[in-house]
Amino acid sequence: MTVQLNVNGAQLDADVPPTASLLDALRGAGLVGTKEGCRIGVCGLCTVMVDGLPVSSCLLLAGCVDGREVVTVEGIGASRPEVVDAFVDCEGMQCGICTPGQVMAVAAMGPEIESEEEMRRYLSGNLCRCTGYATIVEAAKVSRGS
Amino acid sequence: MSADEAGVDLVRQDARAKATGKMRYSADLPLEGVLHAVVVRSPVPHAQIVSIESDAARARDGVVAVVTGAELGQVMAGRRVRDMPVLAREETRFTGEGIAVALGTSREVAESAARLVAIDYQELPAVTEPATALAPDSARVHAAASEYDGAVVSLSDPPNLQSELVDGSQEEVDVALASAAHVVTATYRTQAGHQGYLEPICWTAIPRQGGGILLQGTCKQPYQVRTQVAKALGVPTDLVEVGPMPLGGDFGGKGGMLDATLCAALARWAGQPVRLALRSDEDLMSTDARHGSTMDVRLGCDRDGRLVGLSLDALLDGGAYAASKPIPSVNLHGMAEAALGYRLSAFYVRSRIVYTHTVPKGHMRAPGAPQAVFAIESAMDELAQKVRIPAAELRRRNLLHSGERDAYGHQWPEARGAITLDAALDEPVRSKAPNKWRTGTGMALYARPTLPPGPTSLRLVGGGDGSFVVELPFPDTGTGSHSVVGEEMAHCLGVARDRVIVRQVPTNALPYDLGVGGSWVTAGVSAAIRRLADAWNASSKDRPVMVATEPEDGPAALAYCAQVAHVAVDPETGQVRVLELVTAVDVAQVLRPRSHRLQVDGGAVMGLGFALLEDLLEEGGQVWASNFAEFRLPTAEDVPLLRTVLVPGGTGVGPANVKSVGELSNVPTAAAVANAVADAVGARVRQLPITAESVYWCLEEKEVS
Repeated sequence: MTVQLNVNGAQLDADVPPTASLLDALRGAGLVGTKEGCRIGVCGLCTVMVDGLPVSSCLLLAGCVDGREVVTVEGIGASRPEVVDAFVDCEGMQCGICTPGQVMAVAAMGPEIESEEEMRRYLSGNLCRCTGYATIVEAAKVSRGS
Repeated sequence: MSADEAGVDLVRQDARAKATGKMRYSADLPLEGVLHAVVVRSPVPHAQIVSIESDAARARDGVVAVVTGAELGQVMAGRRVRDMPVLAREETRFTGEGIAVALGTSREVAESAARLVAIDYQELPAVTEPATALAPDSARVHAAASEYDGAVVSLSDPPNLQSELVDGSQEEVDVALASAAHVVTATYRTQAGHQGYLEPICWTAIPRQGGGILLQGTCKQPYQVRTQVAKALGVPTDLVEVGPMPLGGDFGGKGGMLDATLCAALARWAGQPVRLALRSDEDLMSTDARHGSTMDVRLGCDRDGRLVGLSLDALLDGGAYAASKPIPSVNLHGMAEAALGYRLSAFYVRSRIVYTHTVPKGHMRAPGAPQAVFAIESAMDELAQKVRIPAAELRRRNLLHSGERDAYGHQWPEARGAITLDAALDEPVRSKAPNKWRTGTGMALYARPTLPPGPTSLRLVGGGDGSFVVELPFPDTGTGSHSVVGEEMAHCLGVARDRVIVRQVPTNALPYDLGVGGSWVTAGVSAAIRRLADAWNASSKDRPVMVATEPEDGPAALAYCAQVAHVAVDPETGQVRVLELVTAVDVAQVLRPRSHRLQVDGGAVMGLGFALLEDLLEEGGQVWASNFAEFRLPTAEDVPLLRTVLVPGGTGVGPANVKSVGELSNVPTAAAVANAVADAVGARVRQLPITAESVYWCLEEKEVS
């Protein structure tokens, strides 16, 4: 089937099987910045934004996203450079495989998330095996100027 | 000095590529003309493979072949012991073992074909408990384990022995403990775990004319994998090339070559490029898990709390194959080194690894040490309680002083255990416990040798404009090692730190390198960096300069890590919350403070996962927690306040004067938490992970007794 996606502001027609996830569709179209991890919505590696909300793209069928607005890590640098900069400056990464998902989660974090405790809870859907999270939480704070 | 004050860091060279999704990993390589391999795995721990029916699978559009062990021939893989067939033939020995492979034009096609392969299994009784595996009448996982290439066991050994490591003298310990004033005799158990890297294993193999093969994938030891794959395939080493690739986490799990060998064998068979990308659940159930253990400890001291003897007798579940274990003993060196930091006149360690019908076990961050240190450092607290002196004081009285000899007779010019422990204990407690919960404090220590440099090679290419490229033979597993190399190289050349770029090159582009492991990269490569700078300065500076270094002898340094855990325990439910974890690290020169800090932080969190959460739940030959929902890694929310105290002024190894850090802070954590729980509620948990349930039952037992 053909799915019409709007990814990072550009139209993307993806020819995918009906069972394809948004993750599969994105990676199949060469947008491999979004990583495949657990494929059951636990690890957060594949986090992207759909209509402004963070989702695990492994759990969402590509067909369900037809016509909706998708932002991936490839597009977030242009719209939210301060988030990318914060991860770079705080070194909110080691191996980097979870970083695109972490960047997307932080970019999607709303203003209602204020304290460090709230941030940690909010980010608990994005696993990191390397850093111990301190510099990721630091990046989340720095990205909003706090 | 806090970790943050130690220096100012340059942005790591791969940071922006990683934060913008531009970094390319193994699964991101282009796919033109690649066949996708999907493995059909055994659903049972032990069975005769009666028949494999693949007509339905092969009939599907896009399916090129279904390959079995019969097609590939007898390809036996292993890092030391070649005891693992790349695909099982007559017999399968663990749940998750590869039996057949569907090759298709897309991963989805190959996956659906794999589901259609019908295998008839005649189930056989499985050996799943290490305790019974060594009994003379036990069924055998391998009919003739001693006959495998590289086997370290003999016919006269008990059935199912995979390897045995023995050191010290049991007799001397028996004599010493017979006259000891106090002796602790206790059994400690740890669970099977997984490295939990988030990037699943992924390999691409591309056949070349003349029988050669190019491999690219999740590999931390390219040169060793090259040799091992060539040996398994029966081809000359120089026909196999391993390409450069950054890793999405390692922690000991990306040194294996089993999936690489399978992928290479498939590509040679098909005469086409093949990609073998594991799904996350396949990875958790089939690769290199951490050994679960049962450890009998006897630890004794005199009336003044001076240790007189230690015996550690460990039985480890090695799983169905020894193939994943890389060191000559085919055992876990952490078992032997677990009490290195103490003065012990009588010492005995035995570590027996046994074959069972479970997933083959491999190396994970300080292999053997997290298990053994949990046992010994828990016993240390139990002993302190018997002697009635504080746990810290018992340790201080027995930690090596500089110039003293360890249990093996090795003399350490510097031993800074006591000041490292005190640095952790001196940190004030800042957290508050929930109402009605009881609080406790526990400590544990680990001492690890930093090894002298191993063989490596580097090439320096001048850009002519004051910029440089360093070509090196090992990947950055995530630690920031490439940034360390770049910054050190710039320092030695006397140029600005951002003028040096570091690039990994394929195995045919530089001489042998040991690969990443054993926390030796920084110490090892810093010697090569200096030699390279000297060679460059002595050269005409108009062409690249290369150095290859030989392994060095020379005094290793001992690095201590002490942790203090502050916990709160709900006495009603047994729930444990770690409020704070203080890690003190004995350091010499810290080359890149931020990378150093992240190694310490990340290790501590991994230690907490081992202590409290992570369990593959192996039972009856099945991994029940084969996904990240059930095999729970710590999340940002699970992590307590972490504080790191660096204890500066140590003397390290090599010209850069460094002590290793990658495999320190994940080791003592479990014992520190267990000791803190005992301090809080008097319940001694001798089995990991420490769950609310386990603490609850310990409390119940205490009520009864």
